Amino acid sequence: MNTAHFPAGTDERPVVVTRVAEQEWHALAGDHVVGCGDVSRRPDGRIFVSIDAWHGAAFGRLVQAMLADLPRPLYTLVDEADRDAKSRWERVGFTTRRREWEYFVPTDPRVTRLDAVRPPAGVTIVPAGEAEEGPLRALDRALREEVEATVGWQAMPAEVLPRPHGVTVVDPSKYAVAAASDQYVGLVRVAPVTRLPRIGLIAVRAGWRRRGTARALLAHVLGSLHRTGIERAAAEVTESNAAATALFDGIGAQRASSNLELVCR
Amino acid sequence: MTRTAKGIEVEGTVVDCLRNATFTVELQNGHTVLAHISGKIRKNYIKILPQDRVLVELSPYDLTRGRIIFRYRS
Repeated sequence: MNTAHFPAGTDERPVVVTRVAEQEWHALAGDHVVGCGDVSRRPDGRIFVSIDAWHGAAFGRLVQAMLADLPRPLYTLVDEADRDAKSRWERVGFTTRRREWEYFVPTDPRVTRLDAVRPPAGVTIVPAGEAEEGPLRALDRALREEVEATVGWQAMPAEVLPRPHGVTVVDPSKYAVAAASDQYVGLVRVAPVTRLPRIGLIAVRAGWRRRGTARALLAHVLGSLHRTGIERAAAEVTESNAAATALFDGIGAQRASSNLELVCR
Repeated sequence: MTRTAKGIEVEGTVVDCLRNATFTVELQNGHTVLAHISGKIRKNYIKILPQDRVLVELSPYDLTRGRIIFRYRS
């Protein structure tokens, strides 16, 4: 356990920062916890930190203790609209690495104009729950290798990171796929999260892109959601992914907010 | 309502999502607080929407402010 003592905080009581567990720090004023720090390691090895503090002084003392304890680089996520939080991280050396847009995606074909969209010639859409598991896993592996060989997974939202032990397709029933004659060429994963389903991943094999396969997959899943009475879904897209942002912008998806990934090297 | 070493935790329902990354939450006792979401929730990409049932930790300095630390599934 690591403990750091600091001068008085805003409530004029001495603040003590204590590492209470391998992944957790507390800032204490008297017997009150006035801030918490948390660290977690993603499957790609990057270390993400978060701090919740009731005043700036507690934040500053927590981040000072955590930076002293942890190896660099360190990453964190902030809502871009939360300027105070962003400023606090920037003051201690974090800089913006990338931006993720959070989209609300309408499902109504009259809004998306996807009702007339059909898959490209030679491709059919296999609904969620009907895809064969072997070819689906083969497609998932191929897509991940393609990404790793190009922009890399660190340029993608956390949702698409591989799980521990190499498992990436956790629940095959959540995937609809685009099938060619001899292989699956594209997939979309929709998670039925509470009242707002999330499009967690949409991807097409490199040799099959720019033919409308992703639009056809979206048309299928959004149409299915609309028929069940769901009016919108959510999706996160990295700003630098021009094809994906164009796809979602083009079907009337609205940018609801943005997350910034900050890094301290 | 639960009193812990970390503070007072109260269940509530999200009434509104405001533009500056804050939420209006109506607590079980009828009071309304302004709440941010916790860093852990953000790290895990958990969306907070109006009508979501959430657990809010109240600020020890201002009981009209809080932090959403958990979103219930239903």
